[in-house]
Amino acid sequence: MAAPSAAGLGRRLRAWLPRLTQVRWSRYNPSYMEPEVNKEYYQKPLEELTEEEREKAELKAVRPIKAAPPSLSSSVFSDPMVSKFTNMMMKHGDKVLARSLMAQTLEAIKRKQLEKYHKAPENEKETIECNPYVIFHQALKNCQPIIGLSNITKGGKTYQVPVPLKDNRKRFLAMKWMITECRENKHRRTLMPEKLSQELLLAFNNEGPVIKRKHVMHKMAEANRAYAHFRWG
Amino acid sequence: TSRLICTTTAVQRRNVGASGPEKYTEAFIKKQIEEFNLGKRHLANMMGEDPETFTQEDIDKAIAYLFPSGLFDKRARPIMKHPTEIFPEQRKIQWGEDGRPFHFLFYTGKQSYYSLMHETYEKLLNVQKYQDQLIAQGLSLQKEKRNLAGSRWLTKIELEEMLLEKLSDDDYLRFIQLLQKLMALPCGDIEQKYIQKFSREVPVQMQKAVIEPLQYDERGVAFSTGEGKRKTARATAVVYDNGTGKMTVNGIDILRYFPVLQDREQLLFPFQFLDRIGKHDTVCTVSGGGRSAQAGAIRLASARALRSFVTEKEVEFMRQAGLLTVDPRVKERKKPGQEGARRKFTWKKR
Repeated sequence: MAAPSAAGLGRRLRAWLPRLTQVRWSRYNPSYMEPEVNKEYYQKPLEELTEEEREKAELKAVRPIKAAPPSLSSSVFSDPMVSKFTNMMMKHGDKVLARSLMAQTLEAIKRKQLEKYHKAPENEKETIECNPYVIFHQALKNCQPIIGLSNITKGGKTYQVPVPLKDNRKRFLAMKWMITECRENKHRRTLMPEKLSQELLLAFNNEGPVIKRKHVMHKMAEANRAYAHFRWG
Repeated sequence: TSRLICTTTAVQRRNVGASGPEKYTEAFIKKQIEEFNLGKRHLANMMGEDPETFTQEDIDKAIAYLFPSGLFDKRARPIMKHPTEIFPEQRKIQWGEDGRPFHFLFYTGKQSYYSLMHETYEKLLNVQKYQDQLIAQGLSLQKEKRNLAGSRWLTKIELEEMLLEKLSDDDYLRFIQLLQKLMALPCGDIEQKYIQKFSREVPVQMQKAVIEPLQYDERGVAFSTGEGKRKTARATAVVYDNGTGKMTVNGIDILRYFPVLQDREQLLFPFQFLDRIGKHDTVCTVSGGGRSAQAGAIRLASARALRSFVTEKEVEFMRQAGLLTVDPRVKERKKPGQEGARRKFTWKKR
């Protein structure tokens, strides 16, 4: 059979590989630093905020810098959160489709908000938010859980222990829940942009299934409060 | 009478690897150094040079001339270097005639490493004592900032060479952490000399690429060329001054050549960063790669061409924004025994 012999070859090769390459490596030397694309950062004079920033700037003047990736740009229209969300929506590397879906979603949000705006009476017109980016950011912020659960094995049994989450993890969970919600719980014929815009608007008003999922997570964490000390040994 | 017992050659063969790498005595090394110096003088004589001022470079050139070799690997060619460079430094025997070791930490196994850790910790305690003294006298602690940018710590290999001992990654990390702790203390300047032994200078600003001056064509318009590459795509861009912001790729307008918005964003990135969108005309040629790789290549080419139009400070800003670095990421090769570069074959239990 091809698989066991290939596995044997692979095992022999893996024993040989660690001396030459590691599994998680990058084409850049570790001394390369991340690029800073924001134009305003360079227009700031020398009176910067903290000493840390000054040290960082000194380091940047000496160390080499990585090339900016194709999804990063200094234009006003590029938003890191939106790019991250687009990448998570992408399937089989089809960035074109993912980006067009994202654009259609934002357009749909804008249309719905404008409809509401024109139908609303004069005094309420100011409270209606029309900027789709603001709605997107606020909706994802509302979906972020504060505390999460992690599986910790103690004495043979695995417990769900409440654990604080890092910022990156919170953002990732919010986006992941949003996307899974829109992919699964929808009618076969509704398209992704429509469903996504619906969910984002609901999340903006702290309603909807994604917010419910966040509350469920918080309740589970509260219920398992007794195991919190398992985090430390 | 003695009977000859049949033994196999395997028993009689002496085990070459058991005694470890060859150990050279001091007398042997001395003899090698004398022979080397003599040989150097002979060589200088042969080449007609002055024996007193015959440097290592001259030796290398002479050997390459006298013993021409067509071998591809430089390390296989004949060399004549000082014995200390050829024979690796070896530790002298660490125990006396009675078998008692000289160093008190010999039985830890890594005596030089642990003694180094002890020394560094002693320095740390000294600094803390000095700090306490200053506080007792009521003087303020001086917080002087050291330049972290120009120096780096010793690598693990360099440390191993210094201590003549094998270290593990963990050991090395602990030592570096201790050094960092020592440096982070406010009065760490006292031990600056000690710390300097373990830090090396980083060559600042590796290659300052020469920025070409502007060229002028027949109409008197200033222009500049740049080349860029990304994955397999190669691009050249010619950026003209006094333009309207039009960009042409292989004779086709960018709106037709790059239907995807992301690629066009990348093309305009350098211009947008320098606030020069409607001011330059660009004519590019590109070949190879896919759509994203071609866009990245043109971006690098136009950024390089723009260097000639812009002040040095702005060039530095462009570099820090990642516009002037060649992207080294290429497609990872497929390995045998796996389906792709990372994906393994489906694991079957039987």
